[in-house]
Amino acid sequence: MLQFKLVLLGDSSVGKSSIVHRFVKDSFDELRESTIGAAFLAQTIKIKDTETQEDIDIKFEIWDTAGQERYKSLAPMYYRNANAALVVYDLTQKNSLSKAMSWVDELKSKVGDEDLVIYLVGNKLDLCDNVENRGGKEQEEEENKRVVTTQEADSYAKDQGLLFAEISAKTGQGVKEVFQTIGEKLYEIKKPELLAKKNREYGRNSSEAVDINIQRPNTNDPTSCCS
Amino acid sequence: MLSPERRPSMAERRPSFFNSTGPNANPLIVPHLAGIEDPLPETTPEKVDVLIVGSGMVESVLAAALSWQGSTVLHIDKNDYYGDTSATLTVDQIKRWVDQINNGSIPFYENAKLYVSTLIGSGKYASKDFGIDLSPKILFTKSDLLSILVKSRVHQYLEFQSLSNFHTYENDSFEKLTNTKQEIFADQKLPLMTKRNLMKFIKFVLNWDKEPEIWKPYANRSMAEFLVEKFRLEKPQVFELLFSIGLCYNIDTKVPEALQRIRRYLSSFDVYGPFPVLYSKYGGAGELSQGFCRSAAVGGATYKLNEKLVSYNPTTNVALFSDGSKVNVVEKVIMSPTQISEDSKNVPKQPYQIHRLTCIVEKDCSTWFSEGESAAIVVFPPGSLKSGNKQVVQAFILGSGSECCPSGTCIWYLSTTEQGVRAELDLDAALEAMELSIIRETSTDIGDDEDIVQFGSNGQTLINSVKLGKSFKEYVPREKLQFLFKLYYTQRTSTPPFEVVDPTLFNVNKDTEKFDPEASDNGVLYTSMPSAEISYDEVVTAAKVLYEKIVGSDDDFFDIDFEDEDDLPGSSQDYENAIEDDDEDMGIDKSESAEFVGEMEI
Repeated sequence: MLQFKLVLLGDSSVGKSSIVHRFVKDSFDELRESTIGAAFLAQTIKIKDTETQEDIDIKFEIWDTAGQERYKSLAPMYYRNANAALVVYDLTQKNSLSKAMSWVDELKSKVGDEDLVIYLVGNKLDLCDNVENRGGKEQEEEENKRVVTTQEADSYAKDQGLLFAEISAKTGQGVKEVFQTIGEKLYEIKKPELLAKKNREYGRNSSEAVDINIQRPNTNDPTSCCS
Repeated sequence: MLSPERRPSMAERRPSFFNSTGPNANPLIVPHLAGIEDPLPETTPEKVDVLIVGSGMVESVLAAALSWQGSTVLHIDKNDYYGDTSATLTVDQIKRWVDQINNGSIPFYENAKLYVSTLIGSGKYASKDFGIDLSPKILFTKSDLLSILVKSRVHQYLEFQSLSNFHTYENDSFEKLTNTKQEIFADQKLPLMTKRNLMKFIKFVLNWDKEPEIWKPYANRSMAEFLVEKFRLEKPQVFELLFSIGLCYNIDTKVPEALQRIRRYLSSFDVYGPFPVLYSKYGGAGELSQGFCRSAAVGGATYKLNEKLVSYNPTTNVALFSDGSKVNVVEKVIMSPTQISEDSKNVPKQPYQIHRLTCIVEKDCSTWFSEGESAAIVVFPPGSLKSGNKQVVQAFILGSGSECCPSGTCIWYLSTTEQGVRAELDLDAALEAMELSIIRETSTDIGDDEDIVQFGSNGQTLINSVKLGKSFKEYVPREKLQFLFKLYYTQRTSTPPFEVVDPTLFNVNKDTEKFDPEASDNGVLYTSMPSAEISYDEVVTAAKVLYEKIVGSDDDFFDIDFEDEDDLPGSSQDYENAIEDDDEDMGIDKSESAEFVGEMEI
């Protein structure tokens, strides 16, 4: 199982939380894998190794902003060791894409990892267009609330080397695919590193400090031993 | 106005909640996906229960406790970073911080002097490669803060590493502590009699509060006398017990205080492994503060950095901020003394000094660490230094494994509770001893102190820097240790050395007639500045006292349980505050525990 930290960014009310909500609660609810928001949400997906066709479990540790973005008060802790980021904007809000752009800049300055996968996501697709799917024209004019064009966001994303999608947290359209793509992309990037690490594991570098998992106290109780 | 009744907690306000609120009531169950389930309010709240100013450790723990209890909290900090007095800063941030101290904009810090090598910034290191703690702290594995970290799940935001090496500096060398029974028995140097006496003492101290017969006659005497007279221990053991294990500040430390502190160490040993202490990676109290703030935010608190409280009017309950916004505070304004507004007149006095010296050296110092670890404590007992120190100098060493500094470097945090000018002499002497020791222990290194430049182009900082530069150069022997960074500062506190916050500090003047009409801080409840204590032990005590002032009782302080499948293995509830217990205070007679002293026989 590979674990990656994924952070959400974007202005308040663009629907960051509802995207996670949709992803974590809807698609994988029966697994009950999700842990509670006091820390972060966790969700596991499966991807396929393109060479070996082997199933790989990818666990996302999803950090929501918890509102701390509102006054630009996100702590360094939030960005630390992030592997992927969803930068969300609202397709129906005028300044929302330009705000997303400034979050992208912020992200690039705060996260050290050059392999950081950034996914630009336009949310609230359910409030937008699609003439084919709609009935009468009058109705469409009333309901199409799109103000940010696909082309505008797409060319920015290409320019910056970001992944890009338009989704709807409300209907679920495209949500799963976003996380699936991130998982595949991260796996592709990290695979060589992971393999190298695996080989090194035997001769562990002694100067490397050992992290302590404080969740499980060490007891002398033999029954608690996993042997 | 402070409501005399408790407000309903978050659990009580949930429709599913129908339990009593007594101490035995079920803890509040926070639903799965809490915090992201309800959309957050769009604008700044017009009305909050509590306004907290300053994001230090105590304020952050308090914010999280109140948020999960169900209070609406607005938490602000005048700085653009989290942590306030507990912050973890980069080198560039430290530069700004020192300037602010010297131009008087950060109260209760003084005499800040800083050196930064040109290797940082324009050389091979970047400012942000370093995380420097303003109040470096270690975490005992059996402590109230650790229990709260687990319960609140804030520990999941953090990464911890172990620290097992405690060195006592004696006769010009660092003696590693013999702290386990096995080590005591295995120690070839210890005479058999001493081993027996030491074991007797260790057995006693683990349950000392149940055996008042043994220590009560010595209650008002020093621990050193007690150990010598009652347990026939000799100076090296007495010093180790008092200063390395107990982390006491001087030889006069009284029996109950010292016993409590020695037990703290011993009972923390082997909770998570063969070490008594943890520290958090990437920074200490600064990281923990961020973690608790995030937890508070998930619990519904609103966060605003770069925001300063201008004034608070206790009659109208209106708090006014530097950006012109206002908020109505229903219950209390809590403020760190470092965040005071102009015309503050009610800030408690901060008569005690803590002197600190923080250095970054270009050496990994791994000889001081236990294998697989990246930190150590070095203690300089009274009289062990050239300066003839009366108070202990404590040094917390952090290597690059902590991710607080890059590979090949090491941070040394030195501090003392000595007051006045002597303090700096003691710190310098301790630094010199460490420097000589590390040079002796490692292969020779070619240093170049021309790289060391003074920092500060204006006023006070510069003058101090020049003065410091001279004395510094005199100290460095030929086989030099490369200093990348050196920072002296003095922090003031209202907490006397050795004590945990004094609860009377929080008795705010509520008598409107006594309000000073000129003051901008009438009715504001001030938190305490960090004490000299190297562990986090005071934090929870201080936060709890404040919590009780606001909520009316501390029964439901972090009384939360998160709904989850893989439940935590029972984190023990019987934690204790190593320095002060809420109700069973150490000096108080405990007639019910009149057991016979059979334990004395081994």
